[in-house]
Amino acid sequence: MKLSEFTRPDTLAAARRTLRELGPKGMVLAGGTALHFMQGKTPVTAVDITGLGLSYIKQKGNFFVIGAATPLSDIQRYRGPRWAMHEICRRISTHQIRNVSTIGGNIARVFPWADLPVVLLAMDARMVVYSGKEKEIPADEYFSSQPARLFRGGDLLTAVKIPVLKAHHGFGSVKVTRNAAAFSLATIAALLELKDGVIKSARVAAGSAIPFPQRLKPVEAALVGKEAVTAVFKEAAAAAGTAAKWVGGEGMSADYIRELAEVSIVDALERAAEFARGRAE
Amino acid sequence: MTKTTHTVNFTLNGEKKTFGTRPDEKLLTLLRREGYRGTKYGCGQGTCGACTVLVDGRATYACLLYAMQAEGRTVRTIESVGTFDKPGEFQKELVAAGAVQCGYCIPGMVMSATALMETEEVFEDEIVKEYMDGNLCRCTGYEKIWVALRKTLDRQASAPAKRAGKKSSSKGSKK
Repeated sequence: MKLSEFTRPDTLAAARRTLRELGPKGMVLAGGTALHFMQGKTPVTAVDITGLGLSYIKQKGNFFVIGAATPLSDIQRYRGPRWAMHEICRRISTHQIRNVSTIGGNIARVFPWADLPVVLLAMDARMVVYSGKEKEIPADEYFSSQPARLFRGGDLLTAVKIPVLKAHHGFGSVKVTRNAAAFSLATIAALLELKDGVIKSARVAAGSAIPFPQRLKPVEAALVGKEAVTAVFKEAAAAAGTAAKWVGGEGMSADYIRELAEVSIVDALERAAEFARGRAE
Repeated sequence: MTKTTHTVNFTLNGEKKTFGTRPDEKLLTLLRREGYRGTKYGCGQGTCGACTVLVDGRATYACLLYAMQAEGRTVRTIESVGTFDKPGEFQKELVAAGAVQCGYCIPGMVMSATALMETEEVFEDEIVKEYMDGNLCRCTGYEKIWVALRKTLDRQASAPAKRAGKKSSSKGSKK
């Protein structure tokens, strides 16, 4: 992407105004790491939002609120009660990228291999979008198709709200890569609510091995009401084939990738169940 | 480079500087053009780590940062860590361990290690690997680099008085 101009608005309202005026010739910049790889010959104006105070993590009531311009390394280092976001952030790219790349950049325009949409879908997060005033969009709606659709009119993602996990709730995420810094082959995230060893509710999401991150509802359905044990997890994971269109690549067949995803689903569920049990005592 | 259209101000290796630039110029290009050639151009796409510099104390790929993004920040390059005549501690250990073959990755390695040493208190292997996971070496197989780094870190960890002194002085200057 070719930058011809660079602006640093000092308020959210000014940033939105500038983006509205620029239309397709404006581009939000936070970490900016993705901009270097975006196609397009038309020169654009970078609208730098890093001066708007959008880099923070705080616990507010039943939510952790993460500012949209918070770098992944801050999320990786943060610790709060029943915090689970650090695990996936540690697995994203390299130290230098995590220091710059932001949560907002990962989810405002979703690339198929992005990890955070998967985690936020499973976590039932809410995205805060500024359009003159702020409104919250639940993950299911936000990720129902390319979120960039929401920002065409100059609106901005300002924060992500992640529910604080309650007792008996557990979360697990798994990212499969060929080497530490590689793009994901399959990313799976699972949220389980247990009651007396039985799964009361489940949210399981996948990404990378499918065209766009999504929940795996047949897998979730196969879990609810059953015991949180490996045999049940395996049976549920077998529903992954009907839940999404698995795509091969890098010399791997679609069937292989699906099997990889199934194994990862079991792993993520085991982690989530362990989390739920461990913290319930 | 064609004509500059913008200016950017940042602190570079302790000195306040103003540079002419353009919105699409990378920080790496600016640094090398201005004579800071210790910072290397490797892959140019945020994979190899040869261009690593510190921005506000954090290791960053200079090839994936527009120069304009450095406005108001503190940038450090390999030139601030050591010179040929007066190398830094890690640089001395790298030479002693025979860890430098072609040497192209070394400035980046040193900058990532500098971020590690100036940020963390405890140098467990997992933490060290996390800080170094964005730097590739295609000659040594990493073992000798690791040996040199471990020696440097162990020495630093066993010199708490010096560290404490350094910490308090940097805090003092900030406030």
